[in-house]
Amino acid sequence: MTAADLLAVVMVLGLTAYALTGGADFGGGVWDLLARGRDAADQRRLVSAALGPIWEANHVWLIFVVVMMFSGFPEAFGIVGSTLEIPLICALAGIVLRGAAYVYRAYGSGAAGPDHWWGHVFAVSSAITPVALGVAGAALVTGDVAEGAPLTPVTSAFGIVCGVFALAATAFLAAVYLCRDAAASPETEHLVPGLRRRALGSAVACGLLAAVLLPLLWSEAPVVADRFADRSVPFVVLSAIGGVTSLVALWQHRFTAARVTAGIAVAGVLWGWAAAQYPDLVVGRATVDSAAAPEANIVAMLIAVCCGLVVLVPSLWMLFRLFANPEPEAEAEARS
Amino acid sequence: MVQAAEVLSHVAALAQTGDLNPASATSTGLARGQTAISLAFHICFAVFGVGMPWLLLYVEGRWVRTRDPVWLALTRKWSRAFAVLFAVGAVSGTALSFEFGLLWPAFMARYGGVLGLSFTLEGFAFFTEAIFIGMYLYGWKRLSPRAHWLTLWPIAIAGTFSTLFIITANAWMNTPGHVTEVDGKVVSAEPFAPFLAATAPHQLIHMLLAAMMCTGGIVAGVYAVGMLRGRRDAYHQRGLRIGLTVLLVCAPLQLIVGDWAARVVGNEQPIKLAAMEGLGHTTTHAPLTLGGIYDEQTGEVRHGIEIPNLLSLMQGFSADKEIIGLAAVPPEERPNALLVHLAFNVMVGLGMALIALSAAVGFVVLLRRRRGQRPLVPTGRPWLWAAAASGPASVLAMMAGWEVTEGGRQPWIVYGRMRVDEAVTTSSGMPAIFTGTVLLYLGLATALILILRRMATGGPELGGSVGEATRAPDIPDARPAPDQQAPNLPASASAGDGSGNGTGTDPSGREEDTR
Repeated sequence: MTAADLLAVVMVLGLTAYALTGGADFGGGVWDLLARGRDAADQRRLVSAALGPIWEANHVWLIFVVVMMFSGFPEAFGIVGSTLEIPLICALAGIVLRGAAYVYRAYGSGAAGPDHWWGHVFAVSSAITPVALGVAGAALVTGDVAEGAPLTPVTSAFGIVCGVFALAATAFLAAVYLCRDAAASPETEHLVPGLRRRALGSAVACGLLAAVLLPLLWSEAPVVADRFADRSVPFVVLSAIGGVTSLVALWQHRFTAARVTAGIAVAGVLWGWAAAQYPDLVVGRATVDSAAAPEANIVAMLIAVCCGLVVLVPSLWMLFRLFANPEPEAEAEARS
Repeated sequence: MVQAAEVLSHVAALAQTGDLNPASATSTGLARGQTAISLAFHICFAVFGVGMPWLLLYVEGRWVRTRDPVWLALTRKWSRAFAVLFAVGAVSGTALSFEFGLLWPAFMARYGGVLGLSFTLEGFAFFTEAIFIGMYLYGWKRLSPRAHWLTLWPIAIAGTFSTLFIITANAWMNTPGHVTEVDGKVVSAEPFAPFLAATAPHQLIHMLLAAMMCTGGIVAGVYAVGMLRGRRDAYHQRGLRIGLTVLLVCAPLQLIVGDWAARVVGNEQPIKLAAMEGLGHTTTHAPLTLGGIYDEQTGEVRHGIEIPNLLSLMQGFSADKEIIGLAAVPPEERPNALLVHLAFNVMVGLGMALIALSAAVGFVVLLRRRRGQRPLVPTGRPWLWAAAASGPASVLAMMAGWEVTEGGRQPWIVYGRMRVDEAVTTSSGMPAIFTGTVLLYLGLATALILILRRMATGGPELGGSVGEATRAPDIPDARPAPDQQAPNLPASASAGDGSGNGTGTDPSGREEDTR
């Protein structure tokens, strides 16, 4: 295994962390968007309270992945930048709007337009971003990219299904995570049935989309599809087991277990993709080897990553532990 | 803004010279415009991410020790403003990391690896910041006051290190070294190349001081405006005092760093120095030209004030020091000296004004101390107006400074190695992308200004009465009293100070206007 390979593994792990944390934040926005009925306001509050302390940290995983990509595989980043401009710009607009709208709603007190407007901006941009990132990811799989043809990635059926799949996966994760948050406090327990229904529904949607996606993979991206059959079966099985046990756990109201299995289901998909994608970064254009920066730089980055993790892991652990459970006092205030 | 003007004139200049095909020239102009706007937008918030935690460390530290509600009120107000500024800074920073690739794909493809270590470390610094900001903003009730205060340390340290890492990347673009290229491909690069860039040390210190000055100036400005409107309570007095102290201590130091910076630039990027000074022709006994407009045709500055020999003296401590002029390189390798000279003068002029304010305030403070007057910081209306102006002046000076750094590097994206027009995207969608970016950022900036104005207006914050408690971070009520007492904060606070803490330990006690 070369240093570049190792860096690619680090990137995939970073992407997994982003999907499981930041992805769920996007999903939270989706449920904010789809909140209906009597409990809509309570549900939006639950989403907002769950995101509050952690969304900025979750979001940094994306920066981490982008930085790994442009520093470790600069040529691939150059290709991505000059061919995937439409999905990337959409993702970028979504990220900027979502983050800004979230704090404007939380702190604006209506100074810049009613808070619920910003709430809608937050929700819509949260939904756009995973679709755009999914479309961009799909283009790396098909390799159907060309300078001067910016529309290709967004008009491919495979790309669009991948985008929707990414959206469904984030919504699934968010619903599962929120089930546990809601169940943890008597103030929000009444939201559990609705969220549980949403979690089950989005799990089924993910399954159906995966069933559509597989034949498309073979027709649109034969190179990756062949490797997928060779290498990715264990990950697909892992993902399927994760998905099915999530359904069972949700059914049985075991929400902490469901969080873990839902995470495994999503991670399995990403790892299956990564295994099939290797050694290509952009199929037909750049491989891990061809696009790699000089080895000394990659080694330095890997060392920096290790040093960084020494700070990062305990800090993240503290953050998540500190906010693991809703605090009774705050909940009480929210109700008053 | 200066940078926007630079871009427009750049577009115009390229269109006139016609040495490039118009589409690519437009593309370059628009991509530069978008980068300039994104950077300007980002940096206006990033400076608070660097400066605010240090100020919060001070005010919250005072609160932890004294439990004085005025310190808590300052902490609460600042932490809310900081939350918004940091979030916008964070998302605009993310946008930048994408834009590098979208706008300058060839640059990233060739040099991404060189900058890898800087950006990787920056990523971790940013991570640390974001994690502890989550704890800080939302952990009021879950952490003890002391633990809560401690979470500020990693935020402050990581914010400062972020500056370090990002500045090294920019410094390398200005003075690239320690990299070997063959046929336009980097074959070997020392991982620490950005950290070894000749311009890195002064750029870093210059920027850190600028960040502190901007933060201090804006904080002082907000409270000065409040006092001009008649709110002269302890809360405003202390806010003003802290902001002004930070600004006015940093301003003179900035002069020393600036002088050092100019000498390094003169050695490493003589053409940039020539553009800054509006020096057309290489000469000894070079004068320092204040103000004026650089005329490209004659290579002279019109309407400027020349101080004979001074530039040579400043650069080489001798009037015989030869200073390289713009004419030393062909016209297509010269930056736009008109704008760079102008921006440089704006920066230096504002910096000098702030130093003058610093000296004047310092003098008056000493005087008042000798006379036993309190508060030490003068709060007459002219002083308050000066303090109110100092914030925008610092920010404008910083932006002008970046225009000097970036505009003065033109036409290079990596000095001497890659030109901006070689790096730019070939996308035909640039006009649409540019328009979209401008509209997005204008909208967000307008909303943000409205929100910050609302936050800045009025006295100390009333306990969690605004909005729903779960939306905004939960913030504790002042120790002894819940919400009901909050509206009377300043009055009760100064009374408490006067009788309790005594004037010896807390100079801010009994802050009455003795003007």
